[in-house]
Amino acid sequence: MAKVDVALATIAFKRKIAYKGTWFFSILFGGFSLLAGLAVWNHLIGDGEMGGYDWDAMKAYLIIGFLTSTLAWAGSDWEMANRILDGLIAIDLTKPVDFQRARAGEFIGGMVASVPSAILGTAAAVLVFRPAPPDSVLAAALTVASILFIFPLAFGINYLAVLTCFVTQRYLGVQWARDSMLAFFSGMMVPLALMPAWLQTVSWSLPFVHFTTTPASIYLGRVDLPAALGLLAAQAAWSVGLWVLARLLWSQLVKKVTVHGG
Amino acid sequence: MPILEARSLTKTFRRPDKAPGFKGALKHLAQRRYKTYTAVDAIDLAIEPGESVAYVGPNGAGKSTTVKLLTGILRPSEGTVRVMGRDPHTERIANAHDIGVLFGQRTQLWWDLPVEESLKLLKHMYGVSDADYKARIAKFDELLDLGEFMPSLARTLSLGQRMRADLACALIHAPKMVYLDEPTIGLDISVKDRLRAFLRELVDEGTTLLLTSHDLADIEEVCERIVVIDKGTVAYDGPIQQLKAHYITTKAVNLILEGPADVPALAEKFPEYGWAAGEAPSEVVVTYESNRFTTAEVLGGLTAQLAPRDLSLSEPSIEDVIRRLYAGELTR
Repeated sequence: MAKVDVALATIAFKRKIAYKGTWFFSILFGGFSLLAGLAVWNHLIGDGEMGGYDWDAMKAYLIIGFLTSTLAWAGSDWEMANRILDGLIAIDLTKPVDFQRARAGEFIGGMVASVPSAILGTAAAVLVFRPAPPDSVLAAALTVASILFIFPLAFGINYLAVLTCFVTQRYLGVQWARDSMLAFFSGMMVPLALMPAWLQTVSWSLPFVHFTTTPASIYLGRVDLPAALGLLAAQAAWSVGLWVLARLLWSQLVKKVTVHGG
Repeated sequence: MPILEARSLTKTFRRPDKAPGFKGALKHLAQRRYKTYTAVDAIDLAIEPGESVAYVGPNGAGKSTTVKLLTGILRPSEGTVRVMGRDPHTERIANAHDIGVLFGQRTQLWWDLPVEESLKLLKHMYGVSDADYKARIAKFDELLDLGEFMPSLARTLSLGQRMRADLACALIHAPKMVYLDEPTIGLDISVKDRLRAFLRELVDEGTTLLLTSHDLADIEEVCERIVVIDKGTVAYDGPIQQLKAHYITTKAVNLILEGPADVPALAEKFPEYGWAAGEAPSEVVVTYESNRFTTAEVLGGLTAQLAPRDLSLSEPSIEDVIRRLYAGELTR
């Protein structure tokens, strides 16, 4: 990683923490959705189990979902989109840096700014709700690795979504579509195990599944070691694939850049 | 060899062709129609190293689009651009190392961080050494009073401060070729004067400059050559002095006489000149064709015969020439 990538990530981090109010509200409302999820699933599962999850496992699943969704939604996709739509991309294109790498640095820097609140919230939830522990020390380590893959995956998906602004000239609808797909196919909304088999197949063929289902499955030991390593490999493959796809798309879209006005 | 060369540079855009009203919106949703318009039409431009060129034209003439083509932001629809031998669009990153760009209407500062942070990030981007960075910041501080607002958040700056900070951002890496698009827009006179003095110094040091502005004082004070563009094509390209000499043939002398000026009598006595009453009763404005009379001749004759109490020469105005060029009254 070059010095300039780190500098861009640092700037994005500083910008994110410059707004204390937003930071505070994101923790507050992130925590609220976790509490709401816990209340609903406690009511549904009771002393039994659903889709192979008992109450302790479901608590662990939901807390992992809180952690991964806090990270996944912490990037500055709106800002990237606005720069394209408002024409500020003109400024970015006069800088001697690779456009995609620069945006990755900024995006991941913004995500890193949410790490303290994600860890704090997760630690508090673990202490208060006592979820199921990790299946093994190795499973815990692989879960951490799997969560780290969320950084490049989130950038890839968000960056591709933002690039569509060159065609759509508006980001709102694209953002809604991306959010819905992420929430649904990742298993953040409902665990995949509770979905019909065909929908599970669709989910496993998409990158979104690696945001929550993959780390939760590894943590809870729902997959054995070879399968866990396979999932990590799939995360790596998706990270590279999305990066390459974005590169190809950008090489075409940069020809279509239009910036009207002075 | 030119530092910048554009040949038959053309940019066309597609605009939605949408009828007004609800019906028009529905029709456009069902059947999209577009119109193609040409923003820049086969422009040829060559700039030598060290030149300071004003690129002027009325709103919508294609000035900013040309700057975006020359800086590599936009891809030409037709024609070629070479800046220091490179295609600025396909070799964007290499080109960006050697150019500085300022868009007066778009800031390159990170809005929610101190100015200093933006400059430090640019230092990393351009690979500026610590020593060079310090020296340049010290110089910008001396000429632009940058120090007073370096620790301020960009969003708290006044427009003048923001523009000075943006100028520092555009020049922190000592670019060889600088593009300034409306650098004095919205600024008060004192800040404008300061920026112009700074730009003059930049040009004196050998930096090549392309400046677009609606403020003709920027052009006269900073540039030696002017390119006038209208409807995407070049209407004039040459030295500013030549433009004045070629198109400004009528000059004026203001005379203040000892007593009230009798304009009809003076017009009868000196029919070769134009005569008009001035602002005061004793003031009269004499106009003459500079290709027929020298200023010395006119002044010599008038002072000898009218013995005015005071007189002043009206400097030829480039503004009037450009206004007439825009209006199509003058041709190349």
